[in-house]
Amino acid sequence: MGGKIRVLIAKPGLDGHDRGAKVIARALRDAGMEVIYTGLRQSPEDIVSAAIQEDVQFIGLSILSGAHGHIFPRVLELLKEQGASDIKLIAGGIIPDDEIPKWKEMGVTGIFGPGSSTVDIVDFIRAQSGA
Amino acid sequence: MLDSQPQRAAARLLSWIEDEDPRAVAALQATWSRTGNGYVIGVTGPPGAGKSTLVDCLAVHAAAQGHTVGVLAVDPTSPFSGGAVLGDRLRMNGAQQQGVFIRSVATRGHLGGLTATTRYLVNALELLGCDLVFVETVGAGQGDVEVVQLADTTVVVEVPGLGDEVQAQKAGILEIGDLLLVNKSDRPGADRLAQELLSAVELGEPRDWQPPVLQVTAIEGTGIDAAWDAIVDHRAHMEAGPLADDRLARQMHELEQQLQQQLFRDRMVTIGDKALRSAAERVLARRSDPFSAINRLAN
Ligand code: B12
Ligand SMILES: Nc1nc2c(ncn2[C@@H]2O[C@H](COP(=O)(O)OP(=O)(O)O)[C@@H](O)[C@H]2O)c(=O)[nH]1
Ligand SMILES: [Mg+2]
Repeated sequence: MGGKIRVLIAKPGLDGHDRGAKVIARALRDAGMEVIYTGLRQSPEDIVSAAIQEDVQFIGLSILSGAHGHIFPRVLELLKEQGASDIKLIAGGIIPDDEIPKWKEMGVTGIFGPGSSTVDIVDFIRAQSGA
Repeated sequence: MLDSQPQRAAARLLSWIEDEDPRAVAALQATWSRTGNGYVIGVTGPPGAGKSTLVDCLAVHAAAQGHTVGVLAVDPTSPFSGGAVLGDRLRMNGAQQQGVFIRSVATRGHLGGLTATTRYLVNALELLGCDLVFVETVGAGQGDVEVVQLADTTVVVEVPGLGDEVQAQKAGILEIGDLLLVNKSDRPGADRLAQELLSAVELGEPRDWQPPVLQVTAIEGTGIDAAWDAIVDHRAHMEAGPLADDRLARQMHELEQQLQQQLFRDRMVTIGDKALRSAAERVLARRSDPFSAINRLAN
């Protein structure tokens, strides 16, 4: 028994860089997780409502466009509004190193930039899910 | 955004059902009398035929007619890792915008078969108020049969350009489809495929429901009205007679499947590993033949 780890992978906004998101989706699948891939151009509202319907433990955002500055706060805010703050937000892509402490404090559980090992990401998710 | 509390509760129940968590049983027992109000439309066909795109169109159309629509989109679990990338939702943006509840489902290694589990997933959506549930499954032999077990109306999606595979599949398709849709009619060969399917239907055994063959182009939303009307016609046909018997037969089949499984599990536990081991030793040592050993264990 024991629940499967389910992760929603989304690309918010107009950012078309989808390689990283696909790499992560496959890596998590190969680690035995169920990945719901929602593709490009998702709004924060789309992402949060999909995460609720899919009952995922994690939302994974891949952002290389620089738009994370308004997307992170909005997603966190919507999760709170919907009483769904137990869903953890993780992210990757181009996020400047000096901003990372700020985002973590705000509630982004994990941030993984270019070159991150997918093994580390899998381990991190497993540890965070308590599995 | 919609009020998410009922959605969260339903979403959690769906997870319990999928995880075979005992809380699912308790929750379904407590709510059983409130389920059963959903009409299930199965959509099957080869990978890439456009099933998800089509379900998106049909779900939006049905929602506009006043239905509360739910979608279960089933994709296979990787047999190697037990994980899955579920990508149907990618094509269901329209439905998502209309507030349709969409749930991606991995086949996993369900003991009770996809049917039993998926049936309970439908029930969970009914508790959320859904009166119409689309179930998308990849048509690969077994999956087809299972969706028929579950669906009140089965839609089979085909596309031009798959060549001989379609020939080979035709017999099966004709048996399970209440409606045959040729999608990607923007592509060459669609007219011919529709013609072929139609003559195959006409040449087949006459039935009290002859499956219509319709052409659609899901990506442009063309032909969706006619496809929806055909679904409505089939539903009316079913509700005028065969539906009650059909559902009874399906319920019997489901109970039988689950009972079999439970009896099997209980009995295996009672017999236990020890007895199994000593029987195996006796069989190997030629002190007993396997047939007598099995008889002894089973009685
Ligand atoms: C390939 C590429 C492209 C390709 C994209 C192809 C595709 N379909 O993905 C093309 C050529 C189309 C492209 C276009 C553009 N690009 Co470009 N592109 C890149 C490049 C060189 C590599 C990105 C990549 O694919 N990396 C490989 C993947 C595997 O790595 P990754 O995405 O970083 O993912 C890893 C981690 O970040 C993390 N991760 C990623 N997502 C997630 C999610 C989760 C949940 C987790 C846990 C981890 C995680 O794990 C992955 C594995 O380690 C980068 C530079 C760079 N070095 O990053 C620029 C870059 C991203 N592009 C950039 C720009 C500006 C553009 C364009 C606007 C125009 C231009 N000037 O070229 C357009 C915009 C396109 C659009 N519509 O959005 C800038 C962005 C600047 C910024 N953010 O401030 C970059 C940084 C280049 C630069 N230094 O200027 N690009
Ligand atoms: N040309 C064309 N492509 C379509 C049509 N419907 C869907 N597609 C495309 O076919 C691909 C597979 O569609 P999808 O709905 O995911 O198929 P599924 O695997 O059967 O669910 C996607 O790239 C769709 O955009 C159509 O009517 N015409
Ligand atoms: Mg699909």
